[in-house]
Amino acid sequence: MEWKMSEQGKGSVLIAGGGIAGMQAALDAANSGFYVYLLERRPAIGGKMAQLDKTFPTNDCAM
Amino acid sequence: MEVTRRPRFVDTEKCIACGVCAEKCPKKVDDEYNEKISQRKAIYIPYAQAVPQKYAIDRDNCIYFKSGKCRACEKFCPAGAINFEDKPQTMSLHVGAIVLSPGFSTFDPSGIRTWGYGTFKNVITSMELERYLSASGPTDGHLVRPSDKKEVKRIAFIQCVGSRDLNKSQNGYCSSVCCTYAIKQAMIAKDHVKDLEATIFYMDMRTYGKEFERYYERAKDLGIGFQRCRVHSLEPVRDTSDIYFRYIDEKGRQIEARYDMVVLSVGLCTPASALELAYHAGVELNENRFVESSSFDPVGTSRPGVFSCGAFSGPKDIPQTVMEASAAAADATRLLAGARNSLTQKREFPPEIEVCDQPVRIGVFICHCGANIAGVVDVERVARYAQTLPGVAHVARNLFSCSQDTQDSIKNTIKEKGLNRVVVAACTPRTHEPLFRETLKAAGLNPYLFDMANIRNQDSWVHAAEPERATEKAMDLVRMSVAKVGLLSALPAISVPVSQAALVVGAGLSGMVSALALADHGFPVTLVEKSSVVGGQARHLFRTWKGERIEPALQELDARVRSNPLIALHLDSTVASAEGFVGNFKSTILSGKTSTTIDHGVTILATGAQGYVPEGEYLFGTSSRVFTAIEFDKLHMAGDRRMKEAKNYVFIQCVGSRCEERMYCSRVCCTHSVQAALQLKEENPDGEVFILYRDMRTYGQREELYRKAREKGVVFIHYESHLKPRVKSLEPRRLEVEVFDHVLHEPLRIVADIVVLATAVVANAATAELADIYRLPIDSDGFFQEAHAKLRPVDFAADGIFMAGLAHCPKPVDESIAQAKAAAGRAVSVLANSSIDLEPTKATVVSANCDGCAMCLDVCPYNAISLVAAEVAGAKAGLRVEINLARCKGCGLCQATCPKDGVFVAGFSLEQIAAQVDAALAI
Amino acid sequence: MSFEPKIIGFTCNWCSYAAADLAGVSRMQYPHNVRLVRVMCSGMVHPKVVAQAFEKGADGVMVMG
Repeated sequence: MEWKMSEQGKGSVLIAGGGIAGMQAALDAANSGFYVYLLERRPAIGGKMAQLDKTFPTNDCAM
Repeated sequence: MEVTRRPRFVDTEKCIACGVCAEKCPKKVDDEYNEKISQRKAIYIPYAQAVPQKYAIDRDNCIYFKSGKCRACEKFCPAGAINFEDKPQTMSLHVGAIVLSPGFSTFDPSGIRTWGYGTFKNVITSMELERYLSASGPTDGHLVRPSDKKEVKRIAFIQCVGSRDLNKSQNGYCSSVCCTYAIKQAMIAKDHVKDLEATIFYMDMRTYGKEFERYYERAKDLGIGFQRCRVHSLEPVRDTSDIYFRYIDEKGRQIEARYDMVVLSVGLCTPASALELAYHAGVELNENRFVESSSFDPVGTSRPGVFSCGAFSGPKDIPQTVMEASAAAADATRLLAGARNSLTQKREFPPEIEVCDQPVRIGVFICHCGANIAGVVDVERVARYAQTLPGVAHVARNLFSCSQDTQDSIKNTIKEKGLNRVVVAACTPRTHEPLFRETLKAAGLNPYLFDMANIRNQDSWVHAAEPERATEKAMDLVRMSVAKVGLLSALPAISVPVSQAALVVGAGLSGMVSALALADHGFPVTLVEKSSVVGGQARHLFRTWKGERIEPALQELDARVRSNPLIALHLDSTVASAEGFVGNFKSTILSGKTSTTIDHGVTILATGAQGYVPEGEYLFGTSSRVFTAIEFDKLHMAGDRRMKEAKNYVFIQCVGSRCEERMYCSRVCCTHSVQAALQLKEENPDGEVFILYRDMRTYGQREELYRKAREKGVVFIHYESHLKPRVKSLEPRRLEVEVFDHVLHEPLRIVADIVVLATAVVANAATAELADIYRLPIDSDGFFQEAHAKLRPVDFAADGIFMAGLAHCPKPVDESIAQAKAAAGRAVSVLANSSIDLEPTKATVVSANCDGCAMCLDVCPYNAISLVAAEVAGAKAGLRVEINLARCKGCGLCQATCPKDGVFVAGFSLEQIAAQVDAALAI
Repeated sequence: MSFEPKIIGFTCNWCSYAAADLAGVSRMQYPHNVRLVRVMCSGMVHPKVVAQAFEKGADGVMVMG
């Protein structure tokens, strides 16, 4: 099937950064029926939150 | 757009994360995950729970890349996953929209002499402390100081390092999160060292978020010290590694302090890599190097089609970040709604083979996981043993069970040998069960005829020094799995249809934004508003903190809502009753005397809040010159004579907030008063404006307003909650406000023409009513209780119901809009599917055993069980319980409570669990 | 020979079972005589199975969630 340039990739979203924000955005977009490219500079997703021990105000484990 | 994939030098398809490479790698590198407190190898997994669980080579530190020799990892990798030839790949992607979420870096205090960071060993940053406090951190969670590894007994936190500071840093803004994270760290530190003396040195304690104020109070109760002052510099104590500084306390005394360890509560900034990203993406940043956005489009950027979320658009906490992420996903896909599902794929599987009448034929596949299992466990012996177990028809061993070729071979073996149950003895079901279930499906077996024996994570890895014992345990684990799998039956896929329409309750700012977003995504919306007008509380607001006028924006929303063919607006209407669950709600809407029932798949509750009425406080209601902030705005805008003639204004903060009855901060009032004060100063530079406050909470980039106000001569006077200001009527047209001045240490009397009370935002009655109708929790302040304070700030625990705006907690316009868009986005992820697939591991009633005692009803946390009249062959047969499969989460509290074996969780029945226990103890 | 107790542990898939997995990832070493039964929530463990474990010879039972 021929795609017009403007139509190409219309069903997809690119997300730059795989921290808690990027992960949530990726999950929501994918669950809404869009193909997601999730980009992360480091070898693993998780971002800063993965470095946190606990989170306020519940002192839940951040992992 | 062009994307470059940097080489990892490890083939993620092959890597089994066994860790042999890192063990053999001779090069140690400072571990950035642990803030360089500990070391990792040049081939590494960033942290234990990292996703993906695959190693990567750090090219900059790898010996081979530096000197051309080594390749130890390659030599020892049992899976042949190392690929030194890996090259950067440039990909050209065509996408419909872009979301930027590069996050933040923490302020680097190195080089600022007065903080001594990098010079004094026991001055650390808060990020470093985070790692010290972590049980998986470099000190296993022991709070010791870097210089001598001695347990810390006295710790000080210095706030606003790299925030609210244009001298030592260039960051004038407040970083929003440091006050509360310092409280958290002090609390956790005290958990680790019981007699720890912890003091937080701060300028304003900005615990403005939901439940933060109570958290602050709890910290005080725990004995954590709070000292309001600006610490200017740290010095070492001679001949020790202690830190010394001086400060002026609230009584004006000079205090000399000495601490074992000082933590710099560093602020948030945009990292260089994110600046680069902004440049490539073509989005504009503001003077603070954050993404510039409008309050009405909080996740938008200067470039259409490009969105941002998280700390890239300003310092913020996790819930706000998560809200923005959902909002960005919703906005990014909004214009692409027509292309939904055009690029996603669904896997096709062969029809399922009926196995219930067949005799049990179990296949056992034992994984070597390279040497990870086989290096400890005698896999051959386990395989021979498995062959002897009842029901086992076939046993095989695989080097790597998860590899694609093994998947294919398992699939073929299932077919060839006519297997109808499968046990894989390998790593852990938590990561690999889904993969093997797919393999069963591909072979035409029901995916739930499967069990995994955990002989790696819970055996070979934890008994590495006892191969004989580990082998025995592996045999036990295989026996337990075989015993269970023989009792498993096929579980049918459960799916429920989704009614692809939404109900939004409340047509304030949030409700309208949610409704429009849903309509743009193509879903019909019923928008219900109790009053006769739309706009809610926003109708009373004048400007956003960024200065944008609210009224025109509201009018535009109103027009768009009314003209949108997909939105049915019901004014003067309420929800009278509701039933159902995700995908299938039925709500009855009452408009006057007519009631209509609608079907909807999702529900968004945006029922707002209201202003606190300070009856009897500060002469409110008595004097015609004492107003609430909203009244003041209205009169001021209307050019009321009293406002025009007034010279002296006094704003009193925290009226009805942060008190015994309402232990929360209303979040919006500090910014509002500062903004109003600036406006008054602009109109009449000779007039006097006083703001009497407890803590100025102009969080984030709002701090600039506070700075400007001080520059313009607005007088800020701090008061303590036990020494509240007093308002006296002086003569008919004047008032006297008395406040205890902490600088002069005596009461100060201000003659005022107008007193403005910054009153609290309080929950309204509609919140409690709707909570009752939809059986939802409300918090102790009367606001809706979200499913998770950090990670699910928009969702209720019940699926398919979402919240937005003030009904969740006090928040300003931009944050309400972000949450409203997020609620729409979360709702779209439900509505986008015509049906929802549910995990079939659900509670199942054994009607022969159930006598309708209903004990399970009380313990079910999901309201999934109801009592119904049963019929047997057309005759009434008493009461039975019934499970709502959409609500049931399969937790099995009912199973453990039932005295009659009348209910069990599929795949985890008492019989199946008992079989495992028996098998475990059989030898 | 010294006494070696047999321990049965009922572990919740989302927390304690995950923790046991993580102990493996971290290569922590612990005694071999515990057998874990994975459940989806510790709340589904009926007192009867706990009693049964003792009857069948367990010296200790842990329910972790």
